[in-house]
Amino acid sequence: MKTEMPLSKPIRRFLNTTEELLDTEISLLRQPDAEPGGTLVDIYTYDIERNVIIFPAQYIGLLKDFIIAKHCTNLMIKGAATKKGEYKVCSYTEDSVYRGLRQIYLDALKDEASKKEKLPVQKLIQLLFILFSHFNDDVNELPWNTIVNASVYHRMPKIRKTQLYHVMKESKNDMDEMMEQEEIIPRRYFVLNKAMFYARDMFLAKTLPADELMPVLNIPQMKKFNHLEVKEMLTTRWTHTAWYQSKVFGDNMLEIIDKPLSQVDWNGEPTLDYYYDLYKVGINLSSNLLSYMTMRDWYVWEEPKHLLMAHDHKEEYEKKALKRIFGDLIADSWGDST
Amino acid sequence: MTVKEAVELLRKGLSYARRTKFKEALLYYNKALSLDPNNPEAWYLRGSLLIDTGKSKEALLDCEKAIALDQNYAPAWSKKGLAFYNLEKFEEGLYASTRAASLNGNDVNAWYIKGVCLDELGRSDEAQEAYGKSLELEIILDIESEKKKVGR
Repeated sequence: MKTEMPLSKPIRRFLNTTEELLDTEISLLRQPDAEPGGTLVDIYTYDIERNVIIFPAQYIGLLKDFIIAKHCTNLMIKGAATKKGEYKVCSYTEDSVYRGLRQIYLDALKDEASKKEKLPVQKLIQLLFILFSHFNDDVNELPWNTIVNASVYHRMPKIRKTQLYHVMKESKNDMDEMMEQEEIIPRRYFVLNKAMFYARDMFLAKTLPADELMPVLNIPQMKKFNHLEVKEMLTTRWTHTAWYQSKVFGDNMLEIIDKPLSQVDWNGEPTLDYYYDLYKVGINLSSNLLSYMTMRDWYVWEEPKHLLMAHDHKEEYEKKALKRIFGDLIADSWGDST
Repeated sequence: MTVKEAVELLRKGLSYARRTKFKEALLYYNKALSLDPNNPEAWYLRGSLLIDTGKSKEALLDCEKAIALDQNYAPAWSKKGLAFYNLEKFEEGLYASTRAASLNGNDVNAWYIKGVCLDELGRSDEAQEAYGKSLELEIILDIESEKKKVGR
């Protein structure tokens, strides 16, 4: 790692350890329009020569250090898994796209039947792959985000305040996701999306520990569900709202997340084997989340190249899946939309 | 006239530097300095660029020139602190960044460099204080930047 950027001591050490253990090189890149959470472009996913951690230009001090710590941990997990010959991500195939889109369509039909204002068919069809893809991204991101944050919290006590600010900011952005589409997204998927983030935030609120991170405190729509009595839960009309349902699903997902992560020794010696174990925990956790959401047959565990290829073929997969679901009906409407 | 021209050249140089076109930026800064060597900002800007291109030793000289022209020029003290830090001269880095932070209490870089230098010198508690101040300012900058993005 060669950089003219100042770095705090624990971060510099961590970068050096990562490079040594993985026998790789990491570059740091400051970009004005970088994602608020930074981006890791790594050799284990892309066909490139060195790893790059990109972060927003306005991050000059500890915020930059936190982003580096987070992505370095992620890199360690990916690198350790690759070195053990096992690094896999959640990808999709032509068949799995069909299964996913079909399920979303069936759920959407149920939803549409109860709606006063129906969604135009064309829009509904377009929504199917968008949702499928969205959950694919979430499953590839959210469990790792949880693990990485827990790891950074335990290993880098000096940047905990920075981490809390960042996690809260991230949480707000994630909870705002899909908000504008709440009325058009099938309820089940809106709820599952919110529930995943709810569970992550609840876990991090306990781990960090930071009460202010709890969704029932910092998400306006959920505040009314804090300390509800059982009788209230059963009788109030809130039980029919998407936000209440998100809390119920989220509490179940929290258990799925909490169970394997509570077994992790977060301060264990940071060796390749240690990070490989973290990888296995992450895969296990992701699989359990997929099962809980009944999405297990929507996706396949494959090498990162497979996912990149799948992204390249996504339009073709989408078209074929729609053709299988709607038969000849889709030919005309698809033609209209392109 | 030469002073005005120098200011214009600095402006152009800065615009290149922001786009990481350092070679072009350096040309403009050099021209500006030849027209007006008494401008502390010109020395400071060239010093900053030299740090960005990995030449901290040379940058140090430019920062010192800027400070010689204006003892209270906070940005030059801040960069001087960074140059010393890069050269692993932590005591000197601490002195320069402390001076920068006292001249401009809102300089995130100065507080951060002060923190990292203190950390390197094993003065962990004091480092935490400096980091705390740096984080506070960085969060304000971040919130402002997010607001600008939303406004765009």
